[in-house]
Amino acid sequence: MLVAWRYRKRENSFIQSFDPRAWVIFYACFLFSTLTFWDVRFLIPFFIIATYVLLTSGVKWHEIRRAFLFIVGFVFFFAILTFLTGRGGTEVYKEEHLIREFRASFSILGWTPVLKVTVERAFFAVSQLARISSIAIMTILIPYSLNPALYGITFKGVGLPDKFAYAMDLTMRFIPTFGRDFQLTMDAQRARGYELDKISGGIIEQVRKLGPIFVPVTIHAIISSEDIIDAMDLRAFGVGPRTWLDVLTYQFRDRVLIGFGVFILAVSIFVGVMGYGAFWVPDALIQLFP
Amino acid sequence: MMEIPLVVENLSFRYRDRQGAAIHNISFEAKAGEVLLIAGASGCGKTTLIRAINGLIPRSYKGEMSGKILVFNEEVKDWKLSQISQKIGTVLQDPERQILGTKVVNEVAFGLENLGMPREEIYKRVDEALEFLKISHLRQRETFNLSGGEKQKVALAGILALRPSIVLLDEPLASLDPASAQDTLDAVRTLADQGLSVFIVEHRVEDVLRIHPERVMFMSEGEIRYLGNIAGLSKVVNYREVKISAEEIEERAKQDPAPAEIHVLPGAASKGPEAEALVKFEDVAFGYDLEHEVLHGINLEINRGDVIAVLGPNGAGKTTFVKHAIGLLKPKSGRVLVDGHDTREASVAQIAQMLGYVFQSPSHMLFAPTVREELAFGPTNLKHSKEQIEQEVKEALRIVNLSEKENDPPLALSFGQQKRVSIAAILAMRSRILVMDEPTAGQDYQNYMNFMDSILQMPAFEAILFITHDVDLAVIYANRVLMVNDGKLVADGKPQDVLRDFDRLKANRLIPTSLLALNLKRFSATGRFMRAEALAHV
Repeated sequence: MLVAWRYRKRENSFIQSFDPRAWVIFYACFLFSTLTFWDVRFLIPFFIIATYVLLTSGVKWHEIRRAFLFIVGFVFFFAILTFLTGRGGTEVYKEEHLIREFRASFSILGWTPVLKVTVERAFFAVSQLARISSIAIMTILIPYSLNPALYGITFKGVGLPDKFAYAMDLTMRFIPTFGRDFQLTMDAQRARGYELDKISGGIIEQVRKLGPIFVPVTIHAIISSEDIIDAMDLRAFGVGPRTWLDVLTYQFRDRVLIGFGVFILAVSIFVGVMGYGAFWVPDALIQLFP
Repeated sequence: MMEIPLVVENLSFRYRDRQGAAIHNISFEAKAGEVLLIAGASGCGKTTLIRAINGLIPRSYKGEMSGKILVFNEEVKDWKLSQISQKIGTVLQDPERQILGTKVVNEVAFGLENLGMPREEIYKRVDEALEFLKISHLRQRETFNLSGGEKQKVALAGILALRPSIVLLDEPLASLDPASAQDTLDAVRTLADQGLSVFIVEHRVEDVLRIHPERVMFMSEGEIRYLGNIAGLSKVVNYREVKISAEEIEERAKQDPAPAEIHVLPGAASKGPEAEALVKFEDVAFGYDLEHEVLHGINLEINRGDVIAVLGPNGAGKTTFVKHAIGLLKPKSGRVLVDGHDTREASVAQIAQMLGYVFQSPSHMLFAPTVREELAFGPTNLKHSKEQIEQEVKEALRIVNLSEKENDPPLALSFGQQKRVSIAAILAMRSRILVMDEPTAGQDYQNYMNFMDSILQMPAFEAILFITHDVDLAVIYANRVLMVNDGKLVADGKPQDVLRDFDRLKANRLIPTSLLALNLKRFSATGRFMRAEALAHV
């Protein structure tokens, strides 16, 4: 059975005070606007908006702690990786100004590992953190704030055809369902003495030993999909235009939110076209490390 | 002349990837206002027949089909599934697999939305369907949080809202507690009394007989072996194949030799009682989140020689309770000791050497290319020797009657067979305690009685605990009954003491069976609970 995210109606929640369509449109505008910039000065307002939405969402810390820590960990890991290797940033800056160089005291087959800390790498990591954190915060709130009963009509309301709107609805609910099935399979195999953390051998051998988890999860997902298709077919899904039982009505504040989102996107595109918002490091810092 | 709702003529079907026909030359008519019970062993073709009638065969399940299906005198071969679904409603085997809506109102409205009906008409029909099934109070509830019985009724409401003339129910009782099953059956009876043709495929034949189906079809190897009234059924079927009332079994078994005595847990009997409990729950409380506690203050000991049946309503916390025994869940307060060790300080794999746990759903664990490899997985993880594993696998296969499927892929087997593979996979591990979560759900009577007989006689086990909705299973096999309701242990004692109190049974959504009644009646002579075949020879 498809399970839903842990949504519940929250009093005084800013995000929940809007029509879900208005929120989805605003989210899309926010996402594309954020992706327009690498300049940390332009990204900070987006980070502030995201933080405001998070703090006024009414979502309790214990509800999102696990997901939040996972995503923060993920963001930090990649920011640090980029900082250490310098990869990724080279697409947005051409030259680097060295702050300090750390050279390893050992060599591997004649190659000595070197860590170069440069102004550009440091600022790129900060920009990346601000950019991804803003998007992650806004994204993580969606499952906790959007009523699952309204997924379908929301996607229909933003212009998707019936079949796609319902497919999006099912997809949104498939993710937590997959999580539940994964946990059930893990439990069933652990009860047979299987210990994931004790898997040994080479890469291919390790992948093979993951079979007891991935085969049942995959097969179960396929069987469940077939069941869903049968259940839909048996109740005439897709035979023609469908009526959506729930009705959504825009209020004034929803139009304001959409207008604000579209405004942000338009300004961001304009600013980008005008050549602003690209990767930036303060001149003063560059002069310190010529 | 009144039109006949359904006529099936010489219907045969073979699945594309399988050899041999799943159903062969099936012919019958269904009348308006009748309940037709379809019974038969797993794999006899019941579900295939249902799929052919509701149009999933050949539209979703491909293969070779011959014969005719007429709905109100029209052949449905060229109908679209949407057309068929307005005449024939189907409730699938497991309501969990059918429910799509997040809220009850959306779920019931789903088919009507797809037909593009006006919103007012949809609301009218939804309310009618909910009212008919007496579940209007569930209208705004989230489907995910419903109990098993409620889910079943919501799935049925979603079908009734389409106002079909024929309703097909594929094993609707498989996962329901007895009271929820009875509620569902009462609704089915009312549907038929209002003029619908209702087909009900079910292994729990005795339960369905309570609503007096007009006819019974008994299938075997893809063919109809009997089609007629209830009275005739018990004369043509073997009482070991189909579960009929205890009085009838007793009557017929008098002519047969007395059944062999079952020597329960011979290993435990030879070792005698152990000083320390095998499993001990000390004031265990648990909740999946901070706000809601699911188990409250459970205290209990499982000792050598115990065969425990855990009974209780859907959603009472039975599975949550037994998952603590293997350490998959850790108590929020209190502690669970397995063989004297706190489950907080041992890994699940370590506890698995002591306690084998058979999950409810086989599809969450089967992965291996052959049944043999599937069964060897657990013992290999527990570092058993090669020779030992071979012997354990063979023995487990014999017990669940799947020796000839040794080299088949488990995922290609039927649901009933997969369930037996999942039980065998745990049997092969030779743990000292066996815990089974609804081992007989979706199984045919003969198969589950056979494997329960064999499991109970395995010398390796010192104690067995099983969760079940089948009161008769507790009557026949258990020497101790635990009743769980609302996360609390509400009764713990000998079956004859716990099951004697019919008020308590009712409060825990259990219904006395004919076997229980017969045993209570004869208890002064027998001194213990027995199966009906054995009572015939007392």
